[in-house]
Amino acid sequence: MIKTTSQLISLHAKLEEEAAEKLRALAQRHPEAAEALNRLADENIQHRDTVTRVYREGVTDAFEVGYMSKPLNEGDYTINELEGPLKEAVRTALLNEDAVIKFCLDASRDANQLIPSLPQTFSSLAKRKEKRKALLDSLV
Amino acid sequence: MCMVVLDEPIKGVLEVMNYIDGEWVESGSEEYREVVNPATMRTLAKVPIGCAEDVEAAVGAAQEAFPAWRRTTPLTRARYFFRLKELLEEHFETVSRVCTMEHGKIIDESRGEVRRGIENVEVASGIPSLMMGYNLEDISTGIDEAVIKQPLGVFACIAPFNFPFMVPLWFMPIAVATGNTYVIKPSPWTPLSMVKLMELVEEAGFPPGVINTVNGDAEPVQAILQHPKVKGVSFVGSTKIGRDVVYREGASRGKRVQAQCSAKNFLVIMPDADVESTVSGLLSSFFGNTGQRCLAGANLVMVGDDQKFIEGFLAKVKKAAQGIRIGYGLDEGVQMGPLQAVPRKKRVAEYIEKGIEEGAKLALDGRKYDSGPYPRDCFLGPSIFHGVQPDMAIAKEEIFGPIMSVLHVGDLGEAIEMVNASNYGNAASIFTGSGKAARKFQYEVECGNIGVNIGTVAPMAFFPFSGMKDSFFGDLHGQGRDAIDFFTENKVVIQRWP
Repeated sequence: MIKTTSQLISLHAKLEEEAAEKLRALAQRHPEAAEALNRLADENIQHRDTVTRVYREGVTDAFEVGYMSKPLNEGDYTINELEGPLKEAVRTALLNEDAVIKFCLDASRDANQLIPSLPQTFSSLAKRKEKRKALLDSLV
Repeated sequence: MCMVVLDEPIKGVLEVMNYIDGEWVESGSEEYREVVNPATMRTLAKVPIGCAEDVEAAVGAAQEAFPAWRRTTPLTRARYFFRLKELLEEHFETVSRVCTMEHGKIIDESRGEVRRGIENVEVASGIPSLMMGYNLEDISTGIDEAVIKQPLGVFACIAPFNFPFMVPLWFMPIAVATGNTYVIKPSPWTPLSMVKLMELVEEAGFPPGVINTVNGDAEPVQAILQHPKVKGVSFVGSTKIGRDVVYREGASRGKRVQAQCSAKNFLVIMPDADVESTVSGLLSSFFGNTGQRCLAGANLVMVGDDQKFIEGFLAKVKKAAQGIRIGYGLDEGVQMGPLQAVPRKKRVAEYIEKGIEEGAKLALDGRKYDSGPYPRDCFLGPSIFHGVQPDMAIAKEEIFGPIMSVLHVGDLGEAIEMVNASNYGNAASIFTGSGKAARKFQYEVECGNIGVNIGTVAPMAFFPFSGMKDSFFGDLHGQGRDAIDFFTENKVVIQRWP
């Protein structure tokens, strides 16, 4: 269970890195879609860095942090391999996108008890990720 | 995920050296003590117990560096702190993990501590504006008067074990940015965070002698307090040492002293408090840093006679405290680390015994816990006492461990009386939906740091860390505008040009 801020940030980083890694591997197999897929992968890493920066700049002992009343379950967020032909792989990539969006929304809802600046960041990331699904859709 | 243990930045056994006049030098003392990771009980370093000669060398270097540093422009001095800030950001994670290794606090708490330290460096980077004096033309016809703020010379800090990185940074950046030179004496229990800081100070290129560290125990403390060239001392620690040693000895020799001392902090729960957010806040206040904070919550005061609300609230607090996972702070899933050392655990365990003997009901026994694969030497779980009376030792004395004492009063007036009856006046919080109650609390409570719907609060770098009664000795507090005044002398200039 995810109960600490450090765990939350680490899990987010892991999801973004795994999603990026799989998009880059798919891009190598499909040069015709490589530009879009690599761009999305770059964004994943940017999203990871944004959250890490907000965490590091916001973490404090000035007021209470560190106790989530509703822990998140790591198993609820899975990044799958992008296998098969491009269309099928992109459909899986869309599911991966949904998994990260779900994580961001859940974290946004529950992270307020950890660091007050985190919920807004996760909420904003979820919106950005929802928008970029159109780019993935266009590859199907 | 919950068993991910972060990589340890300290691999072998370090030999701690002093940083004096821009060089890493051995102590004149031949006696050493071990620095032990309280979660794993592995020896991390050997630290000298220090001697007066070490202090003499450090103060001498600082005194020699002072004239040139004072003449260095405030803007240039600020730029050294910009560089230090960049280096601290770059090494943020390493410094945080060192802090966890030597102290035991969880990694989130260490990162929070490092961030608070950096915030003080950031504030010091604004010194050209902060240090400005003031003036008035024509106080009489053709005569002008001005106040200029000047540095005094060598200042020193005697730091505690509980925030080994942050506390020296409450003082040093403003002291040095205002043109003074500085000597830090870290706690011998946790000297390694300051070793990392001094490595970065060196890399930032501060001139030799401007910032120095002397390691050790009682002898260096006495030497700092007695040294005629030390103009002022900042101290954080117990009231016994702060009042009876640092304040008396320092002030009697004409030094400026700010001694931030012990505490017994009350959190008052009104019947209209928001339960969910309050419970979460309480856990951090009472059990954060394993209760080893002068801002730790100690007494939980339930107001009123709504038994259903009180019982429901306390049941939630107990359930949440029971769920706190204990272990090594570098394990990301751990929510509470060990006490910092074996004697500290022993002391807290003795208070648990004392509470039982005094007749309080031990609703949650911190002596029963699971520390996972880690040795039990320094660990204790959260403890909660119900039915505590104000005259019990567990309600009056600073315990410095994860113990919550629950008391009951009829109304807010009684709660304020109870808070004000304490010898200490560091912090107090109220949780309520009533602005009127909050204002009364803020207005009447004799404590330096007040929280409203927030747990015991630590002021940010740009506000003073206040404190009253036996929690503070001195006139000007650390941080904020108080710090600028503490580290500078106001010189008044009146001039006429015929």
